[in-house]
Amino acid sequence: MEPLTTSLKRVFGFDHFRSGQVQALASLEAGADTLAILPTGAGKTLIYQLYGYRHPGCVLIVSPLLSLMNDQVNRMRMSGFKRAAAITSQTPFGERLSILNHLNQLQFLFLSPEMLAQPQMLARLQQIQLSLLVVDEAHCIVQWGPDFRPEYLLLGAIREKLRQPLTLMLTATAGQQTRAEIAKQLRSQPQVVTESVNRPNIYLDVENVADEATKQSRLQDLVAHLRRPGVVYFSSKQQATDTALWLRDTTGVTAAAYHAGLDAEDRFKIQQQFMAGQLDVICATSAFGMGIDKDDVRFVIHYHLPADLESYAQEIGRAGRDGQPSVAILLYAPGDEQLPLALGQANRPEVETIERYYAHPQNFAADDPQIQLLAFYREHGISEEAVKRLFASREKERNHALAQMLAYVRTETCLRATWLQAFDETSPAHTAQCCAPGNVALDLTALGLTRQAPAPEPEEMPWQERLARLF
Amino acid sequence: MEAVDLGQLLSAQQDRRIRVIENLLRGKKTVSTLYWGQRYRLLPLLNLDKHLQRGGLDTAIQDLQHQGWVTVDPEQATLRLTSTGEQQLADQAYYRPVTTAQWVNLDLVAARQRLLLAVQVTSQFAHSTARYYPLATDQETRRAVRVWFHRRKSPALASQLGAALTASLQQLPQQTAGVVTDQFTGFGQPGLTSEQLAVTHQWTTWEVRLMQVDGVVQIAQDARQADHPLHELLGPLWQVPISRSAQATLAAVEAGGDLARVATVRKIKLSTVREHLLEAAIMSPLRDFPYDQVLPETVRQDLASALHGSIDDWQYTALPTALQAQYDFFYFRLYAIWRIKEATT
Ligand SMILES: [Zn+2]
Repeated sequence: MEPLTTSLKRVFGFDHFRSGQVQALASLEAGADTLAILPTGAGKTLIYQLYGYRHPGCVLIVSPLLSLMNDQVNRMRMSGFKRAAAITSQTPFGERLSILNHLNQLQFLFLSPEMLAQPQMLARLQQIQLSLLVVDEAHCIVQWGPDFRPEYLLLGAIREKLRQPLTLMLTATAGQQTRAEIAKQLRSQPQVVTESVNRPNIYLDVENVADEATKQSRLQDLVAHLRRPGVVYFSSKQQATDTALWLRDTTGVTAAAYHAGLDAEDRFKIQQQFMAGQLDVICATSAFGMGIDKDDVRFVIHYHLPADLESYAQEIGRAGRDGQPSVAILLYAPGDEQLPLALGQANRPEVETIERYYAHPQNFAADDPQIQLLAFYREHGISEEAVKRLFASREKERNHALAQMLAYVRTETCLRATWLQAFDETSPAHTAQCCAPGNVALDLTALGLTRQAPAPEPEEMPWQERLARLF
Repeated sequence: MEAVDLGQLLSAQQDRRIRVIENLLRGKKTVSTLYWGQRYRLLPLLNLDKHLQRGGLDTAIQDLQHQGWVTVDPEQATLRLTSTGEQQLADQAYYRPVTTAQWVNLDLVAARQRLLLAVQVTSQFAHSTARYYPLATDQETRRAVRVWFHRRKSPALASQLGAALTASLQQLPQQTAGVVTDQFTGFGQPGLTSEQLAVTHQWTTWEVRLMQVDGVVQIAQDARQADHPLHELLGPLWQVPISRSAQATLAAVEAGGDLARVATVRKIKLSTVREHLLEAAIMSPLRDFPYDQVLPETVRQDLASALHGSIDDWQYTALPTALQAQYDFFYFRLYAIWRIKEATT
C-alpha cells in the first residue's frame, strides 16, 4: 500500500498533513479503534476521506445534526468523492429507497443515529462491507445521549451487530471523563490521538452585566466597535432572529440569523454570504459552526451561558482559525444559569413519572417528548431501575458541567487556566494577551481588535446588469 | 404569513373559511377545499405554502381582529373584512402577481428548485469554477439538472440562458425582475433570502414569495418554446391540475359509461367517482367537462326552478324534499359549478 503522504498528494494535492491527522490515520492503518480529539478546523473530515480512499468498502458516518448532513455530502462531492449519500428522517422516501438499493456502490454514507437504529437499516448494513465506522461529534454521546438522542446509547450494541468494524470517534473537545464515557458507550478501547485544545490567539473575556437590558446594550456596543466579522451565539432561535434585525437597525452592521429552523436554501445562502464576506455578524444558535470554513472570524460572543465548557470551547473555536488575534466574549447576568438548567430539565422525566409510566405505559400520550424517551428505553428492554439511575447520574453530570462553566465565569485570576484545567491540561502563564476575567475591563484597542474602516457601499446597478454578471 | 398578507385573501362581501385558505396553501385538495377555493377565486394559492402548520394562520387572524379589520364567525370559522379593513388594505401598496392564471398548471416547487440549480450550475460553468457548493436540493432535482446540463453544455449556454432570462423578466414588473435576479445563486453571488429581500425593500416575506412565483412561472411559460435553453428542464413540470385517478374516471365517463358502471369497472365506490368528477369539473374549463352527459338539460332545469339568489347562499338541505329525493348532493354541487363556469366563461 502506498505511503499516506502519497495518497494525500494524489487525492487532495497537499504535501503535508496537519498535526493530528497523520497520527489518527496511522493508528487506523494499524487496525486500532481511534478517538481523535482535534480542534475545530484541524481537518477531521480528511482523516476518514483518505481512509475511505485507501480501503475498499463503505465508510459509515454517524452524525448528530440532520441539517448539516446534506452539507457534508455536498462537501464530499466537491472534494471529488461522488459516491456519497446521506439518509435522515427528512430524506424523501423515494430517495431513501434509491440510496438503499445502491448501498454497495457507496463509498461514504452519512446516517443520523435514529436511522441507524432502525432494524431494516441495520439489516441492510450487515450485508455490505464496512471499511470504517465514524462517530462524528462523539462528545454528543455524553452531552445529548440520555435525555435528547437516546439512539446514541445504542451505538455500542449496533457496533457489535455490525461485527465491530474499525471505528473512528471524532470530537473537538473531550476531557478525561468524556473520553472514558465515549469508549464505554461504544464498547471499545480506542487509541487516543489528541492535540491541545488551547487556542493562544483567542483572547478570553468574561463580562458581568447587571441585567438583560444592560446585556443588550453591551452587545450593541461591542458589535459596533469590534473588528469584524463575528458570531453571536444564543440559546433560542427567536432571540437570534430578533437580535439580528435589531443589530442591523441600530448599529448598521449587516447581520443575519442562522439556526436549524431555516430551510435548506436560506441556510445555504446565509452560510455562503458569510463565507463571501458579505455579512458582518451572524446571530446563531449552536446549529451554526460545524462545517463552516471561515478563517477570519474575529469575535465570538455568547449572549447566553452555554451548558458546559465543551460546547463553549467548540463554539469559540470558530474564531481566529487564521491564527490572528481574536476574542471570545461571554456576557453573564446574574441568574443566567437558570436557562441551561431549565433546558436540561425540560426533557428529563421526574422519578415519579418514570414509575407511573413503567406501571401503565398505555396511559400516556405518545406525543410528549419525555414519554417518547421513556418508551424508547422500555422498548429496548431497559428496566425502570436502570432508567432511574441513568437520569439521576445524567443530572449529576449536567450539574457538574454547569458548575464548571460557572466556575469559569467567576474566575478572577486566569480564564485560560480554568478552561484548560477542565480538559486536564496545564495552561501557559497568564500574559496581557491572555484573558480578562469578569473583574478586569476589556481593552479592544490594546488587542488591535477595534473596528476597521467600513467598506464603501457598492453602487446599485439595474437588475439587467446584475443578471448579466452571473453569466 | 402576516396580517396584511392574509387580508389580501379576504373579502368584505363574502365570508371565507379559514380552513379552506389553510388547506389550499398546504395543498390539501379535497373537493370541498377546491370548490370553495374556486368560489373565493383563490385556487392559485394551491401548494403555495406546503410547510404551513395547521393553525399557522392564527397569529395573522388575531392581528387582523385586533386591528378591527376582520370579523370572525367562531361557529363557522369564517372571516369577513370590515369596511375599515377593506379601506385600509385598499390604501396599502401591495404586490399583485401577474401570472396567477397559470399557477395551478405548473409544479411550482420543483420548477423553482430546478431553475435555481440550473442558474447556479451554468453561472459557475461560465466562470470555469470547478469547485463550489451546489445548492442543497432533493435527488430528483439534482438528477434532472444533471441530465439537462449534460445535454445543453456548450460555450454559448451561459449567454443563451442570460438572454432568455432577461427576456422573461422584462415582461414582469421592475421590482419582480430585481427580486428574481437577487435570489439567484451563482458565481460571486450567494443570493439573498426572501427574508433579506423583504427587509431591504420593506415588503412582507409573502410578497417576495409571490414575486418569486411570478418569476418562475413567466420563465417556465417562455420555456415552452422548443428553442428555449430551459425547455427540456421545465417543460415536464407543466401539469393538468387534476389528479391522475380523477383523470382516469373522467375518461371512463366520457367513453360512455354511466357512473355506477364506471365505479364497477374501475373498482372504486360510486361516491369516489362523483368526487373525481367534481374535482375535474372545478379544475377544468367549461368546454372540457361533459356537462351535457353528466348533468343533462332536464336536471339543470329542475334544479334551476328551485335555486335562486347568490350561489354561496344555496343549501342542499333547503331544496324541496322531492327534489332532494330525486337528486343527490352531487348534482346540486355540479350544477353550482356549471353555473359558476357559465357566468365566468
Ligand atoms: Zn489568562
